[in-house]
Amino acid sequence: MSTFNNVTGLLPKGARNDGAGSTAGGGPGGAASQPGRRPPRPNNLVTSPGLRRAAGRLLTAVGVVWAAATFTFLIQALLPGDRATLLLNQLAGQVQQRTAAELAPINAKYGFDDPLIVQYFRFLADLATGNLGVSYQLHKPVTEVIGDQVGPTIGLTFASLLVAWLISAVVIVGTARRSRAVSSVASGLEAVAAGLPQYWLGVILLVVFALNLGWFPVVGGSGLAGLVLPALTLGIPLAGFLGQVTRTEFEKGMDQPFALSARMRGMGDTGVRLRHVLRHSVLPGVTLSGWALGSLFSGAVIAESIFSRPGLGKVLVTAVNSRDLPVVCGIVILIAAIYVLANLLVDIAYTLIDPRLKNS
Amino acid sequence: MTNRQPAYQPSTTDPSRSRLRNGLSVIGRSDLRTNGGKGAGRRAASAAALLGVLALTACGSGSGGSAGAAAGEKVDGGTIRYAHLQEPPCIYGGWVQQAYLSRQVLDSLVSQTEDGSIVPWLAEEWSVSEDQLTWTFKLKEGVKFTDGTPVDAQAVSDNFEYWTGGGNGTVQAYIQEYYESSKAVDASTLEVKLSAPYSPLLSALSQGYFGIQSAAALKERTEQQNCEAPIGSGPFTVGDWKRGESVTFQQNPDYNSAPQNAKHQGPAYVDSVVWSFVQDNTSRFGSLASGESDAIGEVPTVDFETAKPQFQVQQYITPGRPVTLSLNTVEGPFTDTKVRQAFAYSADRKAVVDSAFLGVVPFEPNGTVSQSTPGYNAEIAGEYPFDQAKANALLDEAGWTERNADGIRTKDGQELAIDIVFGLNSIVTTEGATALQNLQEQVKPVGFKVNLLPVTQADLFGGAYSTPDSYDAQLGYWTSPTAGILYINFRQNTAKNPNYANTAFYNNAEIEDLILKANSAPSTEEANTFYAQAQQRLSDEAVAVGLYTQTSTVATSQNLQDVWLEASQGEPVFHDAYFTE
Repeated sequence: MSTFNNVTGLLPKGARNDGAGSTAGGGPGGAASQPGRRPPRPNNLVTSPGLRRAAGRLLTAVGVVWAAATFTFLIQALLPGDRATLLLNQLAGQVQQRTAAELAPINAKYGFDDPLIVQYFRFLADLATGNLGVSYQLHKPVTEVIGDQVGPTIGLTFASLLVAWLISAVVIVGTARRSRAVSSVASGLEAVAAGLPQYWLGVILLVVFALNLGWFPVVGGSGLAGLVLPALTLGIPLAGFLGQVTRTEFEKGMDQPFALSARMRGMGDTGVRLRHVLRHSVLPGVTLSGWALGSLFSGAVIAESIFSRPGLGKVLVTAVNSRDLPVVCGIVILIAAIYVLANLLVDIAYTLIDPRLKNS
Repeated sequence: MTNRQPAYQPSTTDPSRSRLRNGLSVIGRSDLRTNGGKGAGRRAASAAALLGVLALTACGSGSGGSAGAAAGEKVDGGTIRYAHLQEPPCIYGGWVQQAYLSRQVLDSLVSQTEDGSIVPWLAEEWSVSEDQLTWTFKLKEGVKFTDGTPVDAQAVSDNFEYWTGGGNGTVQAYIQEYYESSKAVDASTLEVKLSAPYSPLLSALSQGYFGIQSAAALKERTEQQNCEAPIGSGPFTVGDWKRGESVTFQQNPDYNSAPQNAKHQGPAYVDSVVWSFVQDNTSRFGSLASGESDAIGEVPTVDFETAKPQFQVQQYITPGRPVTLSLNTVEGPFTDTKVRQAFAYSADRKAVVDSAFLGVVPFEPNGTVSQSTPGYNAEIAGEYPFDQAKANALLDEAGWTERNADGIRTKDGQELAIDIVFGLNSIVTTEGATALQNLQEQVKPVGFKVNLLPVTQADLFGGAYSTPDSYDAQLGYWTSPTAGILYINFRQNTAKNPNYANTAFYNNAEIEDLILKANSAPSTEEANTFYAQAQQRLSDEAVAVGLYTQTSTVATSQNLQDVWLEASQGEPVFHDAYFTE
């Protein structure tokens, strides 16, 4: 829920960045692929900006992943408490000190007593070759840990996004620029929905629809019926945000000449709303979705724990608690990659929704 | 609320036996009646309660650990859906959370019964030499691990070597100082040599940590395989483990090595157990209420009264070290015995616990050994009643005579501030945290200022709060079927032979001597006499202040019979369970 609160601060920045990215072709890669400072000649225009843009994208992506991995590594390694002690205590359920004799084999096995810089470069070298390591706790390759758990989380993420879009589109089309009362009630509800704490909402949904009405299973598991309530838990607050950013645009759109001309051509109110104004007003929502995709993915843990779903969120929390560095890094890197990918998708969606951006 | 009575009145005088029966009690009709006035009665009008009454009238004589509910037709087969709280990283390990799981697939050498006696399991009989240094175990013949290799003396000996070689830290805490060697005299005779007599050996062996695994599997398989699916000779084998969701245990059709205190010999009645992990309390209890689960563990305290009339509820009070505050005896205000004693007197600890746990979890006045442990010293239970006058007098004597503007006592300008460290949600539940908050308020009038420091699991287990400079008191527990837990917690911590499990940092040669005498006693009765003396001395010194007992609970639906909680640590046993129609 606190992550959602950031969205108003993030949104304009994200929108600007993505706009700039899709028009100017990416800062970091530009200089490398184009030695001359002058504006390129007309015949270069066909290939160069595309390449530059791709290279820039790639560099940014690698940079983001590297930064995320480094940050995670340092945090995990530098926090108080000793990793070998933690492994031993976790195995015995105790919280005590450990003797040097007990610690030595663990330190030797994982290289905890090497200088930090050595550990860091070993970590980076492994990462570069795609080796995410083996979990300290599960004794299992991290790729396998992630592979086992990523499916339900992806499912939940997209289901939540879909739920959020459906709710907000229906509410907007149905209520924006209707009577003052309808419009402001709907707008108020959006604000409330956006502020709902996911944990609280999840428990309420669980108690009402699973425990009392019995419409859905209490223990969600990985089945389809078990997906509905978790998706609503994450989707409803997001729908509030989407509604808020879309509503303003939608109301502006209703006053635009194109809406007026469509009406004059004899198109009905619903047709105008659905076919012209809605399409016009979804751009900020699409930007928000790029961010929301990453946020839903990393915030899935709330729904996962209330509805007892498997998934990466829960694995991440457990791994952080037991300072299982390889697993934490693996998941953080994956989430960073998803943010990068989601922003790329947002760019593509922009050009599809608003073809003018392709030529600008 | 001044309570000058001994804070906890045991219902009978014989400490160990009756307490154990209390410990593993079936919540039946009498419990319902005594609690009727408190909360259950309010719900009496509901249809559910009516159903419960019907069920309870049918359960006349629940023997052992389980209530027989409505007498239905027994059906063979089926799958038990059980919802549990915590999911550990591996099936087998040294944490009680792992023992819950490993108990389903591994057999131990011996089993401990409710009255504290030891009965055969994989070992048919045993004897100990005159000098108590050589134990000889005669193993059951014809028992096989589920990988086909025999459970013979060599395999068991290999397990001892595996544990003491670092395979299980908790096993090491029990026997490392005593274990010398083991060997197979012949295929079914195992000889274990100790360096000194160790009377709690059999009790220790009855725990899940001492489950015997296939020696071939330990040697030949990868760490991951042994973590995810240890191979034993138990009633079930590990099937599919969907992490974050459930582990499926499949019936072992050739099972022929149930402990003597099981309700039947031979394979389990059910085909499988789907053991799911449902962390959220509302969901876990909800899954039982909605019929999605047949049984759940860790019945939430808020749902306890609701559960009793509708389901078969069993509560097991775990023996060993209760949930207790270890006071730092080497740094800070608690170095002074008088301050420690004053702290124990300054709160109505029973009220603190009862209000936090709604009366479901019993108060434990003894700071070192819990009431269901054989060898529990019940006499010291009344030693530190709530007595502010005494607490004030002791603090005055200790020189904490001034008070600052907030009413906190001071000495040489120093506040009487106590940092209590606890692992919220890893070691201590939210109810436990509430109990601590109650305590914080209770000790204020006397002039203690308590700072509660809930710390994360990573910091706590990483040892960030394990040194004398990091806390004044620490809340923790250690389940164990024997008062021999005193040896683990109060063996002296010396530079030459450190004992970091001594979280009070309390070194006392005389008390250690009493504990060692108990360990070397020729019989359990004599051992318990010494353990009781050690508890008395530790209580006099107020090195640990008891709060509540660690408990294990299970609630089962009315059509699932004979699930029981074993007596070493309260692990649910599904081998005898069957469905009725």
